[in-house]
Amino acid sequence: MNEINTTSANIMMIPIILPLICGIMILFISEKTKYVREFFSILVTLVSFWACLKIFKLGPNSELVINWFSSYTLNFKLDYLSLFLISSVSMFSLLISIYSISIENKGNPKIFYFLLLLTQAASAGVVLSDSLLMLLFFWESMVIMLYLFVYISSDKPQTRATALKTFLINGISDIAMMIGIAMVYYITSTFSMTEISKTKIIMSGWGTFSFFLILVGTLTKAGAFPFHTWIPQAALHSNAPFMAYIPAAIDKLLGIYFLARITLYIYQINQTVQIILMSIGAITIIAAVMMAFIQSDYKKLLSYHAVSQTGYMILGISSLNPVGIAGGLFHMINHASYKSCLFMTAGSVEKQTGINDISRLGGLFSRMPVTAICFIISAAAISGIAPLNGFFSKELVYKGSLMTGYNIFFYAAEIGSILTLASFLKLGHSVFFGKINDNLKETKEAPLSVLIPMIALAVICIVFGFGAHLPISKLIYPSVTTLGYSTQVELAGFHFDNLFLISMVVIIIALSNHLIGFSITGKAHKASDHIHFAPIFHSLYDWAEKGYFDLYEISKKLFRSFSNILFKIDRFFDMLIDKLPSTITLKISSQVSSIHRGIYNYYMLAIFLFAVIYMMYLGGIKW
Amino acid sequence: MEKILISTVGLGIIAPFAFPIITKLSENLRNIIAVIITGLIFIFNCILMQNSFSTQATYNITFIPLMDLTLRVDALSAFMATVSSLTSLVIIIYSIDYISHYENRTEYYTMVVLFIGAMMGLVYSTNLIWMYIFWEITGFVSWRLVGFFRSDKDTLKANKTILITVFGAIVMLAGILYVGLKYDTFDMRELVGKELDMTAGFLILAGILSKSAILPFSTWLPDAGVAPSTVTALLHAAVLVKIGTFAYAKLFGTVFLIPVEFNYTVLIIAGITAIVSGGAALVDTDIKRIIAYSTISQLSFIFLGLAVGTQQAFYGAILYILMHSVAKASLFLCAGIIEQKTHTKDITKMGGLIKTMPLTALSFALSAFSVMGLPPFGGFFAKFLVMKGAVETNDIIIILMFFIGTTMTTLYLSRLFYYIFLGNEKINSPEEGSPTMVASVLFMAFLGLLLGIMISYPSSYAEMISNTLYIGGIVK
Repeated sequence: MNEINTTSANIMMIPIILPLICGIMILFISEKTKYVREFFSILVTLVSFWACLKIFKLGPNSELVINWFSSYTLNFKLDYLSLFLISSVSMFSLLISIYSISIENKGNPKIFYFLLLLTQAASAGVVLSDSLLMLLFFWESMVIMLYLFVYISSDKPQTRATALKTFLINGISDIAMMIGIAMVYYITSTFSMTEISKTKIIMSGWGTFSFFLILVGTLTKAGAFPFHTWIPQAALHSNAPFMAYIPAAIDKLLGIYFLARITLYIYQINQTVQIILMSIGAITIIAAVMMAFIQSDYKKLLSYHAVSQTGYMILGISSLNPVGIAGGLFHMINHASYKSCLFMTAGSVEKQTGINDISRLGGLFSRMPVTAICFIISAAAISGIAPLNGFFSKELVYKGSLMTGYNIFFYAAEIGSILTLASFLKLGHSVFFGKINDNLKETKEAPLSVLIPMIALAVICIVFGFGAHLPISKLIYPSVTTLGYSTQVELAGFHFDNLFLISMVVIIIALSNHLIGFSITGKAHKASDHIHFAPIFHSLYDWAEKGYFDLYEISKKLFRSFSNILFKIDRFFDMLIDKLPSTITLKISSQVSSIHRGIYNYYMLAIFLFAVIYMMYLGGIKW
Repeated sequence: MEKILISTVGLGIIAPFAFPIITKLSENLRNIIAVIITGLIFIFNCILMQNSFSTQATYNITFIPLMDLTLRVDALSAFMATVSSLTSLVIIIYSIDYISHYENRTEYYTMVVLFIGAMMGLVYSTNLIWMYIFWEITGFVSWRLVGFFRSDKDTLKANKTILITVFGAIVMLAGILYVGLKYDTFDMRELVGKELDMTAGFLILAGILSKSAILPFSTWLPDAGVAPSTVTALLHAAVLVKIGTFAYAKLFGTVFLIPVEFNYTVLIIAGITAIVSGGAALVDTDIKRIIAYSTISQLSFIFLGLAVGTQQAFYGAILYILMHSVAKASLFLCAGIIEQKTHTKDITKMGGLIKTMPLTALSFALSAFSVMGLPPFGGFFAKFLVMKGAVETNDIIIILMFFIGTTMTTLYLSRLFYYIFLGNEKINSPEEGSPTMVASVLFMAFLGLLLGIMISYPSSYAEMISNTLYIGGIVK
């Protein structure tokens, strides 16, 4: 048993409590002050990040139990996996705090930084909680932040509709998760993940049911198919800092973290479930990357990739072998860094030019060299080009999925890689290369506050690539062992094996595809048209753009007709207790009153008849 | 303690009859006295609640045999009385501005304070017959208040309200007589642990369901939305409709033993109600009708917690009563501000009000979050506990019904918020409500948040109630 460390138990509360208190304080900082909120927020996130580094030195394995309500407690528990997550969360909060200083379209800065710090506190709460109820508490509270983040971006009606969609998709999936967690308690009589992991829940009856309910919440957070549809829409209607912070980084980190916890730690999943999970991963990769490929909006294109890359992580985790799991977790942090960086470049370009449409951009390399270089590094990383970080994590995922024996998932992942690279060639080519438009000639490089976080993330992409050994041995492998897996296989390291050759082939196919597309139309942003308007794809894409595959739109229609029926049922009951009795009463009373006409003869007859019958009754006549 | 108990009940019942005379002196004096009386009742209840576990104050007035008026404090009734008087106090303060430009103000205050008094009597009396008498007084008050505006349409709806609830109450009276004559007493203290057969159970249930607006007796509640918003908040969200849930908790949770099929029937009825009213709330376009439908659907969640049959679910339901009273009263009061300032109740004619009424929008949103059950609002804990109860029934139908019910709660409340506050601006220059009114709704909204953050206080009290009183009786 590891010894419990009390010092780090106290330090681990810093990333939760400090942002929470300071986030509320930000609301009370006067509107007139300039940059106070920004620096306050940077300071807070910096301290949280420092606290995480401090814990690294002291070593994790600490616990803190606080009474909450009734017999439930707040169980804070720090192991390697949660330490890894909480450090990443703090780091991204810090970088986004810096990045957002000079981005104007982030909405009211007061609310923005308030939300940023609160989101940090809630996500720290999620990763540090050992109790499922407490996890749910922090997890679900983020829905409100998510809604407000989108809502404050602009005043347009579309933004409001998107905010509502974001809220509903996340809110309803959290309800599913709530019921799932209640079922876990019903099965195991405890909320403690450590306790549950000792026996694990097996896949039968309520066990399976609860797994899938929790899975819905997890996949929605991670942004996997089919619960991803709010992300591309939010990319269109919200701002770059939000996209770089939540859908690119925090949501992925938390979603995949909890996916790993449930599939590996608290459930004993069987082969059927494994195949379902791997299929979800593969479908997510292909479906989202296909959509990403044809986009012409900078951020929307990136957002589809944010969905598609989730597929790799799911694939890695659900391979259920240490290599794949390490790949999934490594891909999670890698993806967060390069996708955050990519969204930042999008924000940088948007800030300097005011344009998101890639068909109107071009040749910005000479005007914004730092942004362009950061873009190239992170785009290469996401496309899995050696020796950047994306290459290594994808290799591990490929290996992991090959080890399961279901090679089809491996092919799906490789096709995804081809399309990823192809769409980034298209994006990079049309934004940073080619001929520059006249109205963009005056464009300048973005300010330092925008560049620093981008550079930092690009450096991470390189360091985690060349020096993959460091994160693997310090962060990833300890996390894998926390989940109860271990391996003798060397996870980090560069191998000249078949997988490397395949990655070369992928690059060649993607390049030639881009060149073909470019030579047909002569315009970089139309390099995907030869696939977009190919016979079958054309109609598929059409349907997808119209939202036929969007679970949200489908259920919206379903619920509309369902509730119309329910309304009719309600009206039926109203008729039953209102109209019906009153009509019957009216009928009866009008009948009865028609007898009472005031004619004495009738009355006398009635009295006489009654008297006769009564006397017969008294006389003992049997009926 | 006994003196406090009798003054809690007596004050609300006797004082309002002086209102017509006081009005002759000064309108303001009457308003102030009404607020003071409600405030006193609230403070008295707090004192009673604090001591409810140690000393159980009892007060006895002798009438004809079997019908002694016995008032007695136990933890559950003290809790219910405190929650009701707290929301009533806020609503009365809000009323001062809201009602000031309508007619029949004296009747309004008389009836509202009388209602609070009758509510206290109902909650504290241990005699079933007296419970029924107070029950009918609340029905009568509700009839006067729903018909407050006196147009033909209003009186029609008021008649519907009283006809349905009185019909239920009379059926319940039959049930009470049946039980009382069988065991030769109407005193709940002597009836504890007695078995109740299905016939008596369903007779009493009819009264409970009609008062708490559960299918098939639910539709009077949306119709009663013609009343002033304060009345809807007081009667049809926070207090009156909770009478049914209180009676269920008291009779079937702490007094009688009931067959297991009975509870299951209630669960099914509640589940259907949650879905049907949720669907109706998604279709209707009248702001107050939607909130009323939402009340119906939330009430069925309380019945879910009460009927599951575990201590945890029971205490979840008690928490739910508290959280829902606070949040839903706030929603109706917000609707009152909106209705007064925009002069319409049709949500399709509203839109973009967040710009002109930011504080109302904030309170509305916070209260809606609490009703939806989002953390860190109080509603989250209550909802989680009753949903946990639903899972413990081990019955897939129940779980699915309430899953859909919860989903619909989220849907209709976000639809409502979207239509009123976001959407396109359609009404010119509405303005924020008066300071007292806005302060009241903000208070309620933040109270919901506070109850969630400091959940250990209300929950430990609710848990103690269920630990000490709940007998979870099921006839084997």
